[in-house]
Amino acid sequence: MSEKSADDGRRVVVTGLGAVSSLGLGARDLLSGIRAGRSGIGPIEQFDGAGFERTRAGEVRGFRPESHLTGTDPERWGRSGQFAAAAARMAVADAAADPAALSAGRTASCFGTTNGESQVLERLTAQWVAGGLSAVDPELAARADAGRIAQAVSAELDLGGEAVTVGTACAASNYAIGYGYDLIRTGEADAALCGGADASNRATHAGFHRLGALAEDVPRPFDEDRDGIVTAEGGAALLLEPLDAALARGARIYAEVLGYGMTCDARHMTNPDASSIAECIRRAHRNAGIKPGDVDYICAHGTGTRANDSTETAAVREVFTDRVPPISSIKSMLGHTMGAAAGFGALVCCAALAEGFLPPSATLRRLDPALGPDLDCVPGQARSARPRVAQNHGFAFGGNNAITIFGEFRA
Amino acid sequence: MTTVESAVRTPSVLPPAMPVDLVAAGVVSAAGTGLQPLADALRQGAAAGGRADAEEGEAYPPMPLLAADFSPADLLGRKGLGRLTRTDRLGMAACALALAGADDPDGTGVVLGTSVGSTGGIARFTRETFVQERPYLVNPSDFPGTLMNSAAGRTAIRHGLTDTNATLSGGPLSSLYALRFARNALLHGHARQLLAGGVEELSPHGAWAWHRARVLAPGTALGEGAAVFALRRPAGHGSGQAPLARLAACEAGFADPARGPLAVGLRLARCVRDALARSGIAPADVAVVAPGAAGRRGWAAVEERALRTVLPPAPGRHRLRVQAVTGETHGAGVALQLAAVLARWQDPHTDAGRERAAVVTSLSSDGAVGCAVLLRPDAAC
Repeated sequence: MSEKSADDGRRVVVTGLGAVSSLGLGARDLLSGIRAGRSGIGPIEQFDGAGFERTRAGEVRGFRPESHLTGTDPERWGRSGQFAAAAARMAVADAAADPAALSAGRTASCFGTTNGESQVLERLTAQWVAGGLSAVDPELAARADAGRIAQAVSAELDLGGEAVTVGTACAASNYAIGYGYDLIRTGEADAALCGGADASNRATHAGFHRLGALAEDVPRPFDEDRDGIVTAEGGAALLLEPLDAALARGARIYAEVLGYGMTCDARHMTNPDASSIAECIRRAHRNAGIKPGDVDYICAHGTGTRANDSTETAAVREVFTDRVPPISSIKSMLGHTMGAAAGFGALVCCAALAEGFLPPSATLRRLDPALGPDLDCVPGQARSARPRVAQNHGFAFGGNNAITIFGEFRA
Repeated sequence: MTTVESAVRTPSVLPPAMPVDLVAAGVVSAAGTGLQPLADALRQGAAAGGRADAEEGEAYPPMPLLAADFSPADLLGRKGLGRLTRTDRLGMAACALALAGADDPDGTGVVLGTSVGSTGGIARFTRETFVQERPYLVNPSDFPGTLMNSAAGRTAIRHGLTDTNATLSGGPLSSLYALRFARNALLHGHARQLLAGGVEELSPHGAWAWHRARVLAPGTALGEGAAVFALRRPAGHGSGQAPLARLAACEAGFADPARGPLAVGLRLARCVRDALARSGIAPADVAVVAPGAAGRRGWAAVEERALRTVLPPAPGRHRLRVQAVTGETHGAGVALQLAAVLARWQDPHTDAGRERAAVVTSLSSDGAVGCAVLLRPDAAC
């Protein structure tokens, strides 16, 4: 399957999953929601939804950071950083990894985000509107940097390695995972917590609202009647380790990271581009040492906008020609978690490979015939299957595309 | 000190660092456009600065400011300029200059560091959601500019750069992360050439936050700017464009400041030692040191102490005071520190001919630390 040689460096595996999501806290709750095709979407609670015509979002309910963070004071961090740190703490616990060993080694923290600490920025703006710029709270302003998301993870787990936040919008988690994979492969890092986080906020909701990109009810990726995204939030984390270290400590291995690819459309800031996405898929395959025929499942970017789903499907057809593997969108359940989206996709891919299922496009009613024939979008609920290679899509404003590839690990 | 150091970490041995070459530079700072104005300002120890972006109805706080001295219209043309944030303009201008200096644009991508993106753009856009009749009545064409990856994405569109395009964030380490990400992408074949660096804008919104937080050392101006380098894997002897300098190592780490500033300082010292060891450079060969936290109250001393343990003051070792010229430039800081080293090395009026290696450091109050080692091209071969 994978034709990688020893020259490609150390093999890298995923041994821990952590999630702070609208479908539950912890990877188990998230995954049981995904498998059942449940929806995490409800009324907006994180900001005042008054005046908006679209008032639903995929928000994390009942998240008490103090219940999850043990290594750092939650008050120091914004909601995005809290999501990332909590998800990372969960991933370490899920991996049954020794926190002291992670702390003693060179463990990196690589997290993606679209809007950084957006709720902090929103509160600062509210202070400006209410009392002028001289009224902004300096303590709050000190929590505004997006880079604090990865740093919250490092502080929570007392990590000494690089703490880098990737700001490539809604594809950011895939960049973070790909980078963390390379750090371990080459020996730059001994382990890496990778993923992404974003918080539900007013400006993002308003921006997509104004673009006419928000669904009235729920997102329906690949559906004939799909009418847009639902804004959402959450944090996803994966613990990446060298294969030899994972085997040596007898770790459960969810999946192997096989590789990743990146391209930039360089055409338009908000419209996706099929040929650039197709090239991104080819690059990811090349980097992973696989052929299109090896791919058993595609976790789509699948936002549920008319443009994304048709462009993404066209790109997939360009590469896979006669046989398109099953392709589904977990955004049908979570909504669009922005910078965390590709992290959730990666998490679900790893679980699908380890536990033998295909995640569903839960809200799909009538497959859009314009997307072409023989398209399996796994409607409704998860399906039992034995995928061996999963391909995880992440595309973003700015034409930023990144795709990660995961493979089944057999001892 | 040793107890803290030895009690903490025993990580694996690092492999030698893989170098990359800087073949061109694009710089926009308070000193002006390009390396020579920066070299002139460094010799004089000050820059006049340009005009800070005016904001309708919003004044800057009473603090020293150093705006970038550049003409966006001259560098980017007038078409579409009104849609661009200050961060877009600065980042795109520096990228355009770097690309123009590279002999071959094929297979090029963009990797930029920034702390939050356009502080002014985000603040103005978010304000609209509070003050408009309906909260969604924002200007849709302003939306992409609120994202951190706007400058990198727009640069790609402007020049048709379809390869790796990434944006990294980490306070004053943002540009260092961009260089590390770019180096990794080059070494693993994700791109042939990358425009890598950082950008930070001055806005009244950001400036008030800095002013209220009182984190700048007395006399330090709040600045802005962008520096971007065309990075490539080292070419064989005699082939390819002659590099301006070689990035021999580029290390990053973290220590939680909740454990006290000493832990952060020790982590920085280890970072500097790792960077030197991995690049095969002896401390005695380091002729230039450009610290990043020099303009920050309290943290400047932490950085100084860390530097003194690895690179004690020595005859012939020059301390480059970049912040005196550019102001505190946060997300663009490391990139402008590197640009200052390049400016010094190419300056015909500075006696720097014998300088072989430079060390650039940075440290954030959030606990992130980093160090880059730059080699002069003749020393690198």
